[in-house]
Amino acid sequence: MGTTLEPRSKRVARFVRERFPIEKLDAQSMIVKKEVPLHKMSWAYYMGGLALFFLLVQIVTGLLLLFYYQPTVSDAHASVATISEHISGGAWIRNLHAWSASAMILTVIVHLFTTFAMKAFAAPRELTWVSGMSLALLVFAFGFTGYLLPWNQIAVNATKVGLQSVEAIGQYLPGELARWPIYVRETIQGEPSVGQATLSRFFAIHVIVLPLLTVGALGVHLLQVQIHGMSRGVDALKVKTEKFFPFFVIKDLSVWGVAFFVVAVVAMCLPFDAFLPYPLLEPYNPLGSTPDGIKPEWYFFFVYYPLELLPYWAVIAGSTVVGGALFLAPWIFARTTRRTLTVLAVAGALYFVVITLFGHAIYEALKGGTP
Amino acid sequence: MTSALRVFVFLSIAVPGYAHHEFQTFVQAHSGRPVNCAMCHTSADGPEGTGPGQIGSLDELERERLNRARAAFDPSPVVDSPILNDFGNLIVARLGKRRILELRSNPAVLATELGNESDLDRDGIPDAREYLEGTHPLMRHHGAPLSLFAHELRANAFHVVMLGLATIITLYGLISILRGFALKMQAAANAEDH
Amino acid sequence: MIDSFLLVFLLVGLPYVAVLGCIAGSIWRFRSARFSYSALSSQFLEDKSLVLGSLPWHLGIFVVLAGHAVAFLIPRVWAGLVSNPGFLWTVEAIGLAASVLALIGLTTLLVRRLTSGRVQAVTTPIDLTVLALLLAQVVLGILVAVQHSFGAAWATGTVSPYLWSLATLRPNPALVSDLPPLVQAHMALAWVLVLLIPFSRLVHIFSIPIAYLWRAPQLVVWANPRRFQGVEAAVLVPARRYFLRGVAAISVGGALLAAGTAGTFGRFFFGPRPSEKEQTKLDQEKLTRLRQTQREKELTLERARQRYIKIAKVKDLDTKKGRYFIDYEMRAALAFLGDDGLPLFISAKCTHLGCTVASDLDAQGRVLCPCHVSYFDIKTGMPNAGAPAKDPLPHIAWVLMDAKGDVVMRRGADGRTHGDLAPDQAALCDVYIAKREESV
Repeated sequence: MGTTLEPRSKRVARFVRERFPIEKLDAQSMIVKKEVPLHKMSWAYYMGGLALFFLLVQIVTGLLLLFYYQPTVSDAHASVATISEHISGGAWIRNLHAWSASAMILTVIVHLFTTFAMKAFAAPRELTWVSGMSLALLVFAFGFTGYLLPWNQIAVNATKVGLQSVEAIGQYLPGELARWPIYVRETIQGEPSVGQATLSRFFAIHVIVLPLLTVGALGVHLLQVQIHGMSRGVDALKVKTEKFFPFFVIKDLSVWGVAFFVVAVVAMCLPFDAFLPYPLLEPYNPLGSTPDGIKPEWYFFFVYYPLELLPYWAVIAGSTVVGGALFLAPWIFARTTRRTLTVLAVAGALYFVVITLFGHAIYEALKGGTP
Repeated sequence: MTSALRVFVFLSIAVPGYAHHEFQTFVQAHSGRPVNCAMCHTSADGPEGTGPGQIGSLDELERERLNRARAAFDPSPVVDSPILNDFGNLIVARLGKRRILELRSNPAVLATELGNESDLDRDGIPDAREYLEGTHPLMRHHGAPLSLFAHELRANAFHVVMLGLATIITLYGLISILRGFALKMQAAANAEDH
Repeated sequence: MIDSFLLVFLLVGLPYVAVLGCIAGSIWRFRSARFSYSALSSQFLEDKSLVLGSLPWHLGIFVVLAGHAVAFLIPRVWAGLVSNPGFLWTVEAIGLAASVLALIGLTTLLVRRLTSGRVQAVTTPIDLTVLALLLAQVVLGILVAVQHSFGAAWATGTVSPYLWSLATLRPNPALVSDLPPLVQAHMALAWVLVLLIPFSRLVHIFSIPIAYLWRAPQLVVWANPRRFQGVEAAVLVPARRYFLRGVAAISVGGALLAAGTAGTFGRFFFGPRPSEKEQTKLDQEKLTRLRQTQREKELTLERARQRYIKIAKVKDLDTKKGRYFIDYEMRAALAFLGDDGLPLFISAKCTHLGCTVASDLDAQGRVLCPCHVSYFDIKTGMPNAGAPAKDPLPHIAWVLMDAKGDVVMRRGADGRTHGDLAPDQAALCDVYIAKREESV
């Protein structure tokens, strides 16, 4: 290992120089000369672009919703109802925002699994991977903060449950430290219980903070993708390629067109709320009892059901290990073969699909019935 | 009249706190969806209490309306009870109070007797079916997802076709422009070679 | 006020003169100078602003003319279609957008004719006249659309039958004689333009080069010895065709998208315009929410100010069904009547994740938290074995006051009772919760 003899400062400088090669920062190498590999996993190359498309839909529809949404405890629910019922096209825009959010998270998850399986994080694409992981976290943060904004029963109660689970860490901490999670939760909430302060800051985070962070992370991510090109993705030595511009871009655009049509029609014809029992859609009532069936959105099931079924420490330990391994994948799995990575990704995807589709059934089977 | 009076007394005294929970229990079991009193009543917590839409909060005029509505033992054209929503009032108007009380032992028949003509929220699913499926008969955007999708697709066929055409044609245009750019870049590259 | 003779001439005489003149002129021009039977191209002289002007102008005017023609050709079908407000809005929006597009293009073309030296060389007075008249006509059309909107609807009962009366040689000017002067001017100018067709570049209407977009490119190679310029042109001409096709398709696609969504999305920024009944319902709902917010604020204020807060009369409490109240920490709590005939106050905030528990007791004297199914025994507060909740629901201290307002009995949060009162006497008292420093 000759590199270890280099002084640290030089190593850092070289790392940065290799990730941002100045001679490649022009349209010539980033667009004209870029090639995209063609093989049986090529479809996976469209996932990132698709997620980007849904993000654009989110930005446009989100801006439109901002014209009418009112982030106050007394008016939030009524303003959302006004958008759905009295604004021309309001229901469509709102449903587009909801459906496209789910579609974005789904594509982000598929993107994560496929790039992992294809070992797309290998040098020099570490920064692509890390910025991508940050984007994945941001997307989930978008989901969590956006869920509260309609201020209906399920929104507030699910947020309460989600935030309360932060507090449960306290039981494993010694002495005075045990109270810290409570402070953390109350800081997130802005007051002792979920109320106006929480709504205000969730709104600010959802509408200003997260979009700004996303733009930053997305900038790094896209720049890295264009500089270093798509990863080869398969073990074969000789891989056919096609030009990124215009052939790949044209196909990518066609995928966007199909996605636009599908999400627009679904949003027009199938209200997202129809899947929930209506008592959960009523305005939040702090003085009444909590209605049945409080659940987070489907994309949180993969951590929600384990929290319900397993000891808390096991879930915390497990998610720390998995999360850390994912973030540091470029270094941890630097020498792992694509075959092994594919097995890991398939196992992960299988877990995600099963817990999302059958989580409730599993929960009922294990915990159901009146004790 | 005496029997009517007896039913009235029975209604207002013997079952005060409950909004005929037999119907709620039946719908929950039949549909698998949680349901609350807001399906038929103004208040989600039922008619008893002092909250908005509950008996305790009614003013003089509303109490008069309530008493008039409570006397509707037989089917009548209009029932306008302040503690019931439009669907609740519709049931009382169609079936009459006496029949509703009888149906408590057989809540499924309520849907049959309501018939399929009425669709108060105009979402394409008749009120009686929404009752059976545990979805809200007064919420335009609430219904069994598949039925709702089929109905909305039919209602929005014009928009869907236009959207489809617009997508295809715009995509064609964008792709043409991309091809144009690609040709131009190729020309520039060729010129450089010379 | 235009006098009636002139009006009859404009509405009856002029149309026939224009149409006859147009036909005769076309025949004359076709026979005398067949190869001029089109518009003289000036693309070689100047091509940048030509594309920026010509394309939007032709696209816009094509859509507008198509709209006019449809309303004339199938008036009954059209009248049925525009009776749907969504369709009417859509048509109006598209028409207005297309005419604005045409106006922009036409202005660009006019500016080009007036400013480009090379184009000036081939510009005839009739070119400028036609451009100016077209500009006036488009402006008039836009004014009509804005001042007397929904022309797509009102024209079906006035202009369409009038045109049919002209076409069937039974002219009936009464159908349009009462229309606003603006509309009549728009119609008169239209006839003048029809008359001018054979005598100007407008004649190319009869030889629309629509096939241009798809025919094989005709390559113009300059008599230039350097070959690579020819190669470059061989690439650039199809490239330009791609751009044209692209812009045309995107415009059409955009128009279709606008048409498809105008009915629903078109008035998004117009704001909610509920009917009176809906507005009443909305206001009522809003009032309810405001009252609820007010109630919460009152509760908070009451808790900050009062040392004791009355919950209920003891005789009103129930052994089976709890009554919700808000404790001094603004959390939900339940009030029951215990088996001893004394109040039993217990927190309703589930110790698992903070949901509010239900208020009905089951057969074993337990309340259910619906979120994750924990059953709490209200006597001990303990959750059932194996429940997600591990900690008991805490009991809440209360004091009893008699009618005079004297504290006669109190119970601490620890469950110890101070004072002694027979249940029948207790039933006459009111039960209060007390601020923390007051409770024992």
